[in-house]
Amino acid sequence: MAYANQVDCPTFKLVIVGDGGTGKTTFVKRHLTGEFEKKYEPTIGVEVHPLDFHTNCGKIRFNCWDTAGQEKFGGLRDGYYIHGQCAIIMFDVTARLTYKNVPTWHRDLCRVCENIPIVLCGNKVDVKNRQVKAKMVTFHRKKSLQYYEISAKSNYNFEKPFLYLARKLAGDPNLHFVESPALAPPEVHIDLVQQQRHEEELAAAAAQPLPDDDDEPLD
Amino acid sequence: MASNDHDHKEEEAGETVTGEDEDTGAQITPIVRLEEVAVTTGEEGEDALLDLKAKLYRFDKEGNQWKERGTGNVKILKHRETGKVRLVMRQAKTLKICANHLVLPSIKLQEHAGNDKSCVWHATDYSDGELKDETFCIRFGSVDNCKLFMETVEKQAEAAGKKEEKESKDADDAAGQLEKLSVGETKVTSDKPEEKENTEVKAE
Repeated sequence: MAYANQVDCPTFKLVIVGDGGTGKTTFVKRHLTGEFEKKYEPTIGVEVHPLDFHTNCGKIRFNCWDTAGQEKFGGLRDGYYIHGQCAIIMFDVTARLTYKNVPTWHRDLCRVCENIPIVLCGNKVDVKNRQVKAKMVTFHRKKSLQYYEISAKSNYNFEKPFLYLARKLAGDPNLHFVESPALAPPEVHIDLVQQQRHEEELAAAAAQPLPDDDDEPLD
Repeated sequence: MASNDHDHKEEEAGETVTGEDEDTGAQITPIVRLEEVAVTTGEEGEDALLDLKAKLYRFDKEGNQWKERGTGNVKILKHRETGKVRLVMRQAKTLKICANHLVLPSIKLQEHAGNDKSCVWHATDYSDGELKDETFCIRFGSVDNCKLFMETVEKQAEAAGKKEEKESKDADDAAGQLEKLSVGETKVTSDKPEEKENTEVKAE
């Protein structure tokens, strides 16, 4: 959400890698717009999205390089990693192979980006029947990566990877997210024609079901 | 410690709170130095008339479907000086804005057909720092909270309507007065520069 056009804040290149279907694009989209995309459309090559966060040390921006996980759509690979300043390696806790491939992603990444902060993310922990249990995840200890179990669906720990990376990049363990300023909305005048159109749209929208198939509690 | 922490997390997966983050102790040289800054929420001059946990959706017209916008706290804020009322909602944890619009007299809330904890409305939203037409749906944890939200917004919309009416009546009155005015000897000064041409007037 809310990204202004000016780039007058510290900006970091964040590279996101991992097998296809582990949820890299869904995770980025969740942060960008709030939505949770269920449909799988493989990323071709790379998509770059700016993600802004307000912290007690001012606004910061991650330019997220959301890369193709599928080999056949891989494109430039090493080219995407160049000048990467931080990274997320994603796997899917419901698909063992995606964890097995983590060392390969890590090796490829480190060949280009030396000594950058890296977060390993085990995604989809909301799924009941997981294949990679937390205890089985050990790769991060050998390589001094940070590990988070996350769920792009439930938002579990979804802010943690960015918070960790921001703290490491700034060398400030106390950095934290703060309210982004809610500017006063300008006055708007709505004429009767617009008003009528809005009401018609509203009636149609009210009849559409909400995306949650369940009615999960709010905390 | 680490594995305990993970077991704990696994049990709590889908929940919100975990203990302190385990740091594997990666030695990384920071690449920027950031100074602490004063934080402004933009809400400093306002009082919260309502503050409730909720989940917000926006209507995607192209796809004819609701899409999640954020989960967090929705507030109805009233400005202490101007009396203006707006709705502000922030995403939990990242505290980013997912809704920010005035509560205008024209706002019409409507219950959502399939969910009695939720309601829908249209707004000209300013979340991104530019005005955008949005159709929103909000879902609360209980039917009562939804009712409370609807009542609060409707009450404030009505009050805004009365205020607007009064202001336009005052403006009409003022315009009426102005018509009666003519240039004369007595000087009435105004501190508003845009009214300069009217500063030297006298009521008959």
